[in-house]
Amino acid sequence: MLELKDVHTYYGNIHALKGISLTVNDGEIVTLIGSNGAGKSTTLRTIQGLNKPRSGSVVLNGIELHKLPAHEIAMLGVAQSPEGRMIFPRMTVMENLEMGAYVRKDLTSFNDDLEHVFSLFPRLKERVTQKGGTLSGGEQQMLAMGRALMAKPKILLLDEPSMGLAPLLVELIFDTIKKLNQEGTTILLVEQNALMALSIAHRGYVLQTGEIILSDSAQNLKNDEMVQKSYLGVE
Amino acid sequence: MKNIRSGITFGIVGGLLTFLFGGWSVAVIGSLMGVGLGMVIIGKLERKNPMQIALSVLPTALVAGSILVLFSLYQNNFVQEAIGKRPAAVNIVLYGNLIGFLGAVLFTTLLAGMHGLPAKQEQQWRMILLAMLVVAFPFIDKLTALRWTAQIIFALIFVILGLGLNIVVGYAGLLDLGYAAFFAIGAYTTGMLSSGAHNIHINFWLVIWIAAAMAAIWGFMLGAPTLPLRGDYLAIVTLGFGEIVPVLFKNLINVTIKEPFTCWILPMFKIQTTCKVFVENFDLTLGEKGISPIGRPWFPFFGNLPTNVNTIHGQWAIGSKWLYIGEFESSNPITWYFLIIAIILLSVFVIRRLRDSRLGRSWMAIREDELAAAQMGIDPVKTKLAAFALGATFSGFAGAFYAAYISGIFPSVFDFSASIIILCVVILGGIGNINGVIVGGLVLMTADRLFLPALKDFLASLLTHTILPSISDPVVQLAVKDNANPILYRFLLFGLTLVIMMAVRPEGLIPNPQNRAELHAEEEAPVVEAETPKTKKAKKG
Ligand SMILES: Nc1ncnc2c1ncn2[C@@H]1O[C@H](COP(=O)(O)OP(=O)(O)OP(=O)(O)O)[C@@H](O)[C@H]1O
Ligand SMILES: [Mg+2]
Repeated sequence: MLELKDVHTYYGNIHALKGISLTVNDGEIVTLIGSNGAGKSTTLRTIQGLNKPRSGSVVLNGIELHKLPAHEIAMLGVAQSPEGRMIFPRMTVMENLEMGAYVRKDLTSFNDDLEHVFSLFPRLKERVTQKGGTLSGGEQQMLAMGRALMAKPKILLLDEPSMGLAPLLVELIFDTIKKLNQEGTTILLVEQNALMALSIAHRGYVLQTGEIILSDSAQNLKNDEMVQKSYLGVE
Repeated sequence: MKNIRSGITFGIVGGLLTFLFGGWSVAVIGSLMGVGLGMVIIGKLERKNPMQIALSVLPTALVAGSILVLFSLYQNNFVQEAIGKRPAAVNIVLYGNLIGFLGAVLFTTLLAGMHGLPAKQEQQWRMILLAMLVVAFPFIDKLTALRWTAQIIFALIFVILGLGLNIVVGYAGLLDLGYAAFFAIGAYTTGMLSSGAHNIHINFWLVIWIAAAMAAIWGFMLGAPTLPLRGDYLAIVTLGFGEIVPVLFKNLINVTIKEPFTCWILPMFKIQTTCKVFVENFDLTLGEKGISPIGRPWFPFFGNLPTNVNTIHGQWAIGSKWLYIGEFESSNPITWYFLIIAIILLSVFVIRRLRDSRLGRSWMAIREDELAAAQMGIDPVKTKLAAFALGATFSGFAGAFYAAYISGIFPSVFDFSASIIILCVVILGGIGNINGVIVGGLVLMTADRLFLPALKDFLASLLTHTILPSISDPVVQLAVKDNANPILYRFLLFGLTLVIMMAVRPEGLIPNPQNRAELHAEEEAPVVEAETPKTKKAKKG
């Protein structure tokens, strides 16, 4: 459904993405792994229209996303739990979640979805009236993900969803991602925790300094010697 | 105990105000003081049974009332003499102070007592009380010959301006330093379309909508080029617009519009044509002279009443039509007062609906984080333009009213300082809070239009009758005389108010709960908790 073809993205003269091509099929979990500064977040930002590619194309179900402004891309059902969270600091948890549902025309299941988010993150329910900016780092991460879920996206872009979370919660997050996927959400997952990511993903891409150097099924990547050495910390 | 302290403060401030006005003013000041004191102290009271609360604030109310009366009596017996006036007649003093005292005590305890009711009922009763005061005010003002209404109307004009600017600055977070431009556009639209200047006489009731629409269109057009800008840069560009607009109105006195093709391009190639001129040397805005007189509103439904205004002006109960409150005449502020109150009510209603709408939520999201808002599916361009255009609409109303009320407009009224004063109203009251902006506008502008001039007169009389005769050195005498005019220090006082506000209470007099939480996280956290469920409900609805 989502296809990037030879995407080049720049920050000024910094050539951050040097011809990325990747596909995410309906119902898949695809993971993007790579070291710091490889361009993972930039790839997600480019898909979401926050950065515009200088050349190449981003196509979702036949629609050329790279020609659309960010808010229209969101309207098409692309939601992101961004790196750095980007929650609304002076809005309450509840208001943040409501903002997540802004794209939806049909709000009949709003309360059910809210309950769903709260059942995933009971912590958020306890804090509905607290300002987003005063949440702890991990709580903000939950809020960012909850907010993205409230949009009921067709494709969910997750940028390091486990960052800053306690190990138990990391497990929970990965279970959640898997469950969401089983419920029909397509997911593009960026993770530092490559082992975890590869264990739930169907396929994966390895990114290095703006280029894709490897792409394979998650299982194969996990067994790949280079991947093991560079990203899984296996000696 | 803290309440008693508020009581003392209010009593002293109220008492000092009676120094400026004397006579019946103590009655009005006492009642207003009671309302203010009541509003301030209920924030710190817990909900108990109404009678108990009322009794618990009674000492505070009595203290405030007594201090007021003491000041007022001192004023009448000593200050009046010092400023060279005779003390007021005994019955004025007696009844004035009695009403002032009772008003202070009654309103303080009444408001406190209402706090004992369930929150919703309290709200309703408070609104009823305030509505009665708002309606009664101009008549009381007339009976007591205070003549405050005409100045209060100016304050109310700035309330509307503040409400409009609050949409742009408070809700959407776009710092606009040239907002007075839209006020000018509203006023000039009214001026051009309903004065003799261009032989167009459109009825005020229609022209006010045209003015609002014009302001909105220009809000849209001036907003468009600022879209990519943020923060400081936006402020600088709006500052530029704010400067350009009054200069344009000053200089559009010689407008010539020719068709470029026949007048310039063809003659360049030595082709003979008749040049087509649309307008030549047309005086659009009448420059520095300004436009006057400007048409006034009238009541369409009182046609068969006496039309000779001189005989009826000021009478609000005449003939068979008891509703009749007079014509829209400069000598009769009451009609204007109710007109602007109506405009404010309409504005508040509309702005509240906007705030709680989908658009309102997108304004707040843009203000918080533009990129994140775009990720939520919010169109930053549309959202910002809507803020500029809707914000400007309200200054269009204010401009139309202003032009008709003054019956004349001059470019200098709308310069940079006007923009800054409107911004002060918003900041003083509480950015992002409708009630705050209303209070801010009333406080700042009554201080400016009512208290400063009164203080000036007061000081002048005090100088001539008491201080100057006691100064022997003529040089010092002259220096004192020339500088003891508080109006000279108007902007100094504005600036000082802002500095003090920013230092002591940066969230404004009546803060928006979101800002309060941020600026006083430790002290006031519980208040915030209590208020959020309400906003939440409003948003859902
Ligand atoms: N706003 C920016 N301006 C300039 N350069 C940037 C900007 N954002 C990212 N970059 C650069 O682009 C490159 C890719 O950054 P990106 O954030 O995509 O990395 P990443 O793979 O997400 O890394 P990490 O794992 O650390 O999050 C880096 O070299 C980074 O320095
Ligand atoms: Mg990153």
